[in-house]
Amino acid sequence: MTLAEQVPDPKALTAKLAEHDYVADAGLATALFCAVRLPQPLLLEGEAGVGKTQAAKALAAMLDTPLIRLQCFEGIDASEALYEWNYPRQLLGIRVAEASGADLSEQSLFAREYLIERPLLQALEHPGPNPAVLLIDEVDRADEEFEAFLFELLAEASVTVPEIGTLYAKVPPVVILTSNRTRDLHDALKRRCLYHWIDYPDLEQATRIVRLRVPAASPTLVEQITAAVQRLRTMDMQKPPGVAEAIDWVHAAVLLGIYTLDSDGVDQTLGSVLKYREDQERARAEGLAWVAGA
Amino acid sequence: MREPRDSHGSQEPDVIELAAVAAAFGHRLHDSGVPVTPAQSARFGSAVLLAQPKEIDELYWLGRITLLTGHNQVDTYDRVFRHIFQGLIDIADVAGRQSEQPTSMTGPEGDRQQGAQSDTRESPSRPRGSSASPGDRTSGADDADAPPQVLAAMSSSERLSDVDFSRCTPEELALIRRLVEQLPLVPPLRQARRTRRHGRGRRLDVRATLRRAHRTGGDPVELVMRTRTDQPRRVVLLADVSGSMEPYARVYLHLMRGAVQALRAEAFVFATRLTRLTRTLAQQHPDVAYRRATQAAPDWSGGTRIGRTLMEFLDVYGRRGTARGAVVVIVSDGWETDDPTMLREAMVRLSRLAHHIIWVNPRKAATDYQPLVGGMQAALPYVDTFVSGHSVRALEEVMSAISSATHRAASAA
Repeated sequence: MTLAEQVPDPKALTAKLAEHDYVADAGLATALFCAVRLPQPLLLEGEAGVGKTQAAKALAAMLDTPLIRLQCFEGIDASEALYEWNYPRQLLGIRVAEASGADLSEQSLFAREYLIERPLLQALEHPGPNPAVLLIDEVDRADEEFEAFLFELLAEASVTVPEIGTLYAKVPPVVILTSNRTRDLHDALKRRCLYHWIDYPDLEQATRIVRLRVPAASPTLVEQITAAVQRLRTMDMQKPPGVAEAIDWVHAAVLLGIYTLDSDGVDQTLGSVLKYREDQERARAEGLAWVAGA
Repeated sequence: MREPRDSHGSQEPDVIELAAVAAAFGHRLHDSGVPVTPAQSARFGSAVLLAQPKEIDELYWLGRITLLTGHNQVDTYDRVFRHIFQGLIDIADVAGRQSEQPTSMTGPEGDRQQGAQSDTRESPSRPRGSSASPGDRTSGADDADAPPQVLAAMSSSERLSDVDFSRCTPEELALIRRLVEQLPLVPPLRQARRTRRHGRGRRLDVRATLRRAHRTGGDPVELVMRTRTDQPRRVVLLADVSGSMEPYARVYLHLMRGAVQALRAEAFVFATRLTRLTRTLAQQHPDVAYRRATQAAPDWSGGTRIGRTLMEFLDVYGRRGTARGAVVVIVSDGWETDDPTMLREAMVRLSRLAHHIIWVNPRKAATDYQPLVGGMQAALPYVDTFVSGHSVRALEEVMSAISSATHRAASAA
């Protein structure tokens, strides 16, 4: 089945993602549709915990392909993102050649079997038929030089290894970049990408998401917790809780055997949703009963 | 640009019309301040061909995904989209006269925002510095003292170095701004994770060592070492532009522009609210940058809410990473109209995030100065370096404080 048959339009994509327990609204579905079909890299931005990483995971599950994840950090470079030569193995290769008296040329020493594939190369080497999903997570954490380094991959779906030559993707991967906006990404990178901002989901959608992710929880508990998260978000928090926190909260409540949320239950589980002491104090000052919705 | 795979010959008439509409839409967006490249318009066209949208919502999302590059462009996009695709304008009409300047585009409510973004083009309807007079005065003074007065600036620079900005005439201020732009800016450094080859490094460079080992029969005789590199540390400048800081604010705008361009600093101004000026000040032409900066901050010369704006900075930018490990420079006299407890709380949080906090208070220069203002008193315990920065010579102090910013523990010792 070709990609066009699997994903004929954004609505079909929404339905298929729902089968893999991911609730996507029209905007995100359109974004993923364009990323898969155009195909072009997609830059996802949004507050922490709105499901940026989850979107890539769900897409990979839906396409039934591996999710290859590259977590960016300050100082990441080609040897960590793309490829590295396996030096110990090369050294051993030289020793073996010496011992056996075999002829060893530079070419055989820099052959593919001595190449360690890092995530970007793995994504290019994926044999198909469906493209691999390459998640370049928190690209804003990498330094600016690294962005420039991504251009060749994003635009041409190829990378150049000086000793071997240019390697082209057999099936160009679906590339999803996420950013928490700790700094402005370079315009050149943004221009090459589709762009989507993921908002906090509304109450109804949040309830659906949490129910899908924590099937063990009772519907009342899920509704109470998503409503409580919505209430907490209206307060002036250092870290307003997102969907991820709501899911954590429901998990914690289920574990503690809480069936309906009351002020005692909030008291026990507040640490799973508010991660700053100041935020917790603020919520307690407002009243745990208010948080619980009583 | 990749061609859409399933564009058949039978679709030819549609395709032409689609191309025209996509181009016109991109053009309109561009005029409204959203930079749209032809490649993006083409991408929009391909996406429409692929998805075959049947509802206006689907079209809306296709455009938003393919044409925008930032969340802040969504409002403008919404306005232009409504304008073009929801019955206000006939699409054929748009496609026909796409090269004309749109005249009736801006509604009264959108005018301000759009003006801030799209002023590079000379728009005759908007006279320079149409708002308040100060903006006009400074740019006029800059124009007037073009070549002939440069020499004067040289000779009087020595005298001007010590004069308090608040006592300067507009002409002197123009000269001072010139001096400020000549101040050397050296970025503070931090150790980076990247390494480079170095004779006395502490880590082994395995790759290079093994390459050298080829020369010696596979035995690593000569060890190549690597060492950590230094990288410029992030600098964040927050300047108070409230009424009490008026004499200093404009001079500091020049300093900020220099820092944004030379140190890649982040620049913000605040009075009652916070305005990010990094993008605006990165503009090449100084006059354009300053005019836009004063327009972008609607609370210029207003009251002061340092605590609240600092909190806003922390919530929207600082905590995400802008302030993390950065050298934060706050230019303010510490006159807080709100309760100073909020400022204290903001400073506590900022001091946890930032590497070094420099507070520049021009009023400090007075001989009998005591930090009695509530806000200043609340903030001072969390400040690493407290300088005056009231004159050009004092600004040099600010510069050296920035470039030699060390950690709190070290500076306290």
